[in-house]
Amino acid sequence: MARIGVYVCHCGSNIAGVVDVEKVVEYAKTLPDVVTAKHYAYMCSEPGQQLIQDDIEDHKLDRIVIATCSPRMHEETFRRAVAEAGLNPYLTEIVNLREQVSWAHTHEPEKATEKAEALVRMGVARARLLEPLEKHKIRVEKGVLVLGGGIAGIQASLDLANAGFKVYLVEKSPSIGGKMAQLDKTFPTMDCSMCILAPKMIDCAHHPNVQLLTYSEVKGVKGSVGNFKVTVLKKPRYVDEKKCTGCLICSENCPAEAQSEFDECIGVRKAIYTPFMQAVPRVPVIDKESCVECGLCEKVCPTDAVNRAQKPEEIELNVGAIVVSTGFDVFDPSAIPQYGYKRFKNVITAMELERLVCASGPTGGHLTRLSDGKIPRSIAFIQCVGSRDKRFHEYCCRVGCMVTLKQAILAREKIPGDLKIYTCFIDLRAFGKGYEEFYGRARDMDIDFVAGLPSEIHCAADGSLYFDVYDRGTNKLLEVHADLVVLGTGLVPSGDLGKISALLHAPRSADGFLLEAHPKLRPLESAMAGVFLAGVCQGPKDIPDTVAQASGAAAKVIDLLLSGEIDIEPLKAVVDKDLCSGCRICESICPFVAIEMKSELVKGEEKLTAEVVEAVCQGCGLCSSACPTGAVKIQQYDNKQVVTQVQAALAETCAEGEG
Amino acid sequence: MKIAVYWGCCIQANQFAYEMSLRATLPKFGVELVDLSESVCCGDPVKSVNEFAANFLAARILALANSTGLDNLLVPCNRCHFTLTEAQDTMKKNPQTAQKIISLLKEEGLDYGPNIKIWHTIDLLHDLVGLEKIRKAVKKPLRGLKVATHVGCQVIRYSDLGRVDDAENPRKLDELIEAMGAEAVDYAEKLDCCGAALMRSHPDSALSLAGSKLKAVQGLNVAGLVVSCPECQLMFDAKQKDAGTTVGVKLDVPVVYYTQLLGLALGIDDRKLGLHLNQSPAEVLLAKVSS
Amino acid sequence: MSLVDLMSTAKPNFELRDRILLKLGGRELVNCYQCIRCTSGCTALKLLELKPHEIVKLVNLGLVEELPSSDIIWTCVTCLKCVQRCPQKASPYHVIIALRNLAVERGAKVPEGYLKIVSQILETGLAEPPQKIVTRKMETVDRESAKLPKIKPPKQTFQATFMKAMEEK
Repeated sequence: MARIGVYVCHCGSNIAGVVDVEKVVEYAKTLPDVVTAKHYAYMCSEPGQQLIQDDIEDHKLDRIVIATCSPRMHEETFRRAVAEAGLNPYLTEIVNLREQVSWAHTHEPEKATEKAEALVRMGVARARLLEPLEKHKIRVEKGVLVLGGGIAGIQASLDLANAGFKVYLVEKSPSIGGKMAQLDKTFPTMDCSMCILAPKMIDCAHHPNVQLLTYSEVKGVKGSVGNFKVTVLKKPRYVDEKKCTGCLICSENCPAEAQSEFDECIGVRKAIYTPFMQAVPRVPVIDKESCVECGLCEKVCPTDAVNRAQKPEEIELNVGAIVVSTGFDVFDPSAIPQYGYKRFKNVITAMELERLVCASGPTGGHLTRLSDGKIPRSIAFIQCVGSRDKRFHEYCCRVGCMVTLKQAILAREKIPGDLKIYTCFIDLRAFGKGYEEFYGRARDMDIDFVAGLPSEIHCAADGSLYFDVYDRGTNKLLEVHADLVVLGTGLVPSGDLGKISALLHAPRSADGFLLEAHPKLRPLESAMAGVFLAGVCQGPKDIPDTVAQASGAAAKVIDLLLSGEIDIEPLKAVVDKDLCSGCRICESICPFVAIEMKSELVKGEEKLTAEVVEAVCQGCGLCSSACPTGAVKIQQYDNKQVVTQVQAALAETCAEGEG
Repeated sequence: MKIAVYWGCCIQANQFAYEMSLRATLPKFGVELVDLSESVCCGDPVKSVNEFAANFLAARILALANSTGLDNLLVPCNRCHFTLTEAQDTMKKNPQTAQKIISLLKEEGLDYGPNIKIWHTIDLLHDLVGLEKIRKAVKKPLRGLKVATHVGCQVIRYSDLGRVDDAENPRKLDELIEAMGAEAVDYAEKLDCCGAALMRSHPDSALSLAGSKLKAVQGLNVAGLVVSCPECQLMFDAKQKDAGTTVGVKLDVPVVYYTQLLGLALGIDDRKLGLHLNQSPAEVLLAKVSS
Repeated sequence: MSLVDLMSTAKPNFELRDRILLKLGGRELVNCYQCIRCTSGCTALKLLELKPHEIVKLVNLGLVEELPSSDIIWTCVTCLKCVQRCPQKASPYHVIIALRNLAVERGAKVPEGYLKIVSQILETGLAEPPQKIVTRKMETVDRESAKLPKIKPPKQTFQATFMKAMEEK
C-alpha cells in the first residue's frame, strides 16, 4: 500500500490560466492511495519544495507525484528536494500539465482540465510501481583526445592542458594551424592571422601536458564516456622526429616539386617539405608520390634524420573525453560551371585570393592575376557561391560577407591608383561585434556594392572577365568588366566528416555538420556522451565564435572529468541474464553501441548474454521493445509500469463517449 | 529496332528537311520509325492559354504512342520534347490532374501509358545508337570542317526534369559532330536562345535575338551552324535575312540540321536530305564538304 | 515599365495570389529571396525589360491585380534559364505561365497569335497548316513533292475532348 502525495503547480498563470487546478486537486484526492493533494503557485520555488518536504515527514509519504511543467525543466530540482527529506529521489513522478496540457490546449479549458485529471490519474498509477534506485559512480581517465589541430583544437588543448589534463592533439596534416594558418588578415580587426595564431601553436608544442600527434589519424574508438580506447595511426613522415632539428636543408636541396596544398595549388612545394614556414612541429614529411627517390635529402641531413624506410605506427590512447575540432572544407565551385571556375584562369576562390595577398604566399603578397601576373585594375566579388542554395548547401555560410569585405579592403590597400571593386551580393550580413563598423569602413573605401548576383560569367580573349548583373537598388542592368573575379565560396562539412561521425557515433545534422545535443542549451556537446564539439565541425562560424566554443567545450570536459569520477543515472537498460537467450537483437538495434555481448560459464556451458554499458546507455528503450524474451527492461520504464499508465488512461470514459 | 516518332506541327508544316534527313539517316543504324495514327499539336502553344488543356494534349500524344505498342518515342523538336517530358512528370506527380486527363482520354478510347521513354534526336544518336556505330558508318569523313553547334534551350533545361544533355556544358551534339571527323568550336554565346517563342507576340525582339547569335557565330569563321530543333532552324535559317536586317548586319551563315550533315557524311544524296530547302547559304557548306 | 502607380500605395489581393500559388503546385515561390540570378541572366531583359525577380516578388506580396493585364508577362522567351539557375526552386517561368492563363481567363489582352493557334488546333489538330516552301532556286516544294507521308488528322472525338479540357481552370 503506497502513501502518495499529489502536488499540482499553477506555474503562475501558465497552467492555472487554463487548467482548473483546484478541481484537479479534488479529483486527485479521490484516487486510491493518495494521502494528500495540494496546489501551489510555484512548486519549484523554495516554499513549494518545503511544502513537499514537510508533507513527506508529516504524512509519511513514500511516493510523490508533481503535476507541473516538463520534467526537462525541474525534475532534478524536485528529486533533490525529495532526497533531502530522506526519500529515494527516484520515487518522484512528474506529470506535465504545461507543455502537454495548458500550452497545447489553451483555448479549451474544460477539456484541458479533463486531460489534466487523466494525466494525474496515470501518474499516480505509475507512482505506485516506482522502485527506489541509486546513482553510482565510475572512475574516469583524466586524458583528453582533441581531434583536429586548427584554432579550435589548439584553443581547447591549451585550456585543458592549463587545467592539468593530459591532451593528445591529433592532426592529419603535417602541421597544426588549420585553415587559420592560410589566412592573411582576419576581420574585423585586420590582425595578421599567423601573428596571432603562431604563439598559440608554439604554446601547444611546448606545453608539458600536450602531446602533438601530427600527420596522424584516428582509426578506431572503443569504450564509452570516461573510458575511451582510441587507436591512432601515425603516418610515416620518413623523417625521425627525435633527430630532426627543423633546419630544412633537405627541402632546400630537394629537386622534386609538387603543387602546394597550403597555397591552394597556386604555388609549389618540395617533395620533402613542411607545409609552411611556421609549421609546428617543424619536422618535414616526404610525399612519396612526388618524391623521385634521389636520396639527396638523406645525404645532406646533418643529423641523419631521414629514414626512408619508416613504417606507420599504431598508438593506443586511454582518454576520458573527446573534443572534435576537425574544421571544414571550402566549396568547390566547379559544380557551378557557368561561373567559369577552372575554365577561366582569372576566376578564383576566396581562399585562393587569400594566398595571393598573403606575404607568405606564392606571389609574396602581390595581388596579381593568375593568367599573366599583371596587377588587376578591376575586381569583382560574387557572394553566396554554393551557399543559401537548395542545389548545393541550403545554409548561409556565416562568414562569406565578412571575408569579402576584408578582401575588398585588402585589395584597395594593396593596389594604389586605379582599381574598381564590385561586390555582388544578395544580403550583406555583418552581424558581430565590430562587423557593421567594418562594413562602414568598406563603404568608405569606394567599393561598389551591387544588390544582385550574375547568372553567368564570360571570358574575353585577353583573359579578363565580363558579366551582366541587375542591381535591385537602381533597377539598372550593369555590364561588369573585371580583370579578376573572386567567388565567395562557402564553408562545407569536411570530406572525412562521415568517417569521423561513424567512428565516434556522433550524429550529423541535416546540413552535414556534426549535431549538437541541443541547439540552444547544449551547443558544445554531441548527443554521444563524452564527445564534445568545437569550431566549424559543428556549424559554420568565424574565429571569435570558434575560440569561444573551443574554450567552452574545454570547460565542459573539465567539468566532466575533474573529480576523477562521474555519476551514472540509473534510468538505463538492464538485462536479466536468466531470461537472455543471446540472440543479439538488442546489440544490433542499439543506436549508441551501448550493449556488449559477454560470454560466461553457466552450469558448465558457455553462454552468451547481453550486458548494458551503463555509461553510454541513453535509456531510449529500443532494446527493451525489441527483446523477444523480455530480458531487457528500462529501469523505471518496464512493461508493468508502462502498461499500468495505459490502463489508467483508459480507465474512465470521456463525456463524448470515447474509450 | 522500331521506334515511334512524333513530329509535331513545325516540322510537318514547313521544316521538311528535318523529317527528310531523319528518315534518310536513321535506317542506316537499324532504326525503323513508326508514325503515330494522328497528327495533333503537343500542346506547347496552349500552355500560355490553359495549362491543363496543354497537358491533356501532351498526354494524348503519349497515349497515341502507347497504342503503337512500342516503348520508345522519338521527338525531334525541342519544344515538343520538353512539353511531353514535363507532362509525363505532371501525370506522375499530380494524381488529381492525372485522373482528370485519363478520364478524358478514355472518352476517346485512348489509354495513357506512363512508361514511354521519350527520346530526342541528340540522345537517340549519342546514347541509343552510340558514337562508335556512327563513326563506323561514316563514308565521307568531314575532316577539316569547323562548325558551331546550337543545341537549344528546352532540351537541356531544366535539369531537375531529366533532360537530354547537361544544362551548363552540353557536349553531346559536339561529340556527334566529332564522330563524323569534324570539329565543333566553343563560344561564349553557345547557350543563348534563338528567340523563336517570341515570334507570336514580339517578332522584332525574336529576330533580334536570332540576329545577335548569328552575328556572333559569323565572327567565329566557322563553316556553319548546326542545330537540332525545327524552331531554332526556322529562326536561324528561314529568318536569317530578317534577323540580319533587325540587327543591322549582313548575315551569311550556313545553317543546317545535324542529321543533314550526318547524311552527307554517310554518303546520302543531298536532295534526299532536303539541303535544297535550306534558306541560308547551305550550298557553301555543301561545297566545303564535297571538296 | 512601371506596374504600380506611384501616387497611391499598392493594394494586395491575397486571394488571387493564393490561387496562383495553388496552380504552381510544388514550386517554392515563397522562398524567393531576390538574389537576382534570374533577372541577370534573363534572355528578354535587355530587349523587353522583363525582370523575373520582380514578377515573383509582386506575386509573393500579393500585388497581382495588374500583372495579368500587363504586357510584360508575354515577353518571356521560355528559355528556362531562370528555372535552371534559381537556388530556391522558385521558377519565375512557371509563374509567368500561370499569369498568362489568368489573363486569358479574365479576358485581358492576349497576343492574337495564341488564340489563333487554339482555334487552329480545334479545327485541324495542328497549330499551323502545312505550307508550300519556295527554295533559294525558286522551286516550290510541299509535303507531297518532298515525298513525305500524308498528315493524318485526329479522329472525330478529338474536338469534344479538347474543348472539355479547355474548360478546366
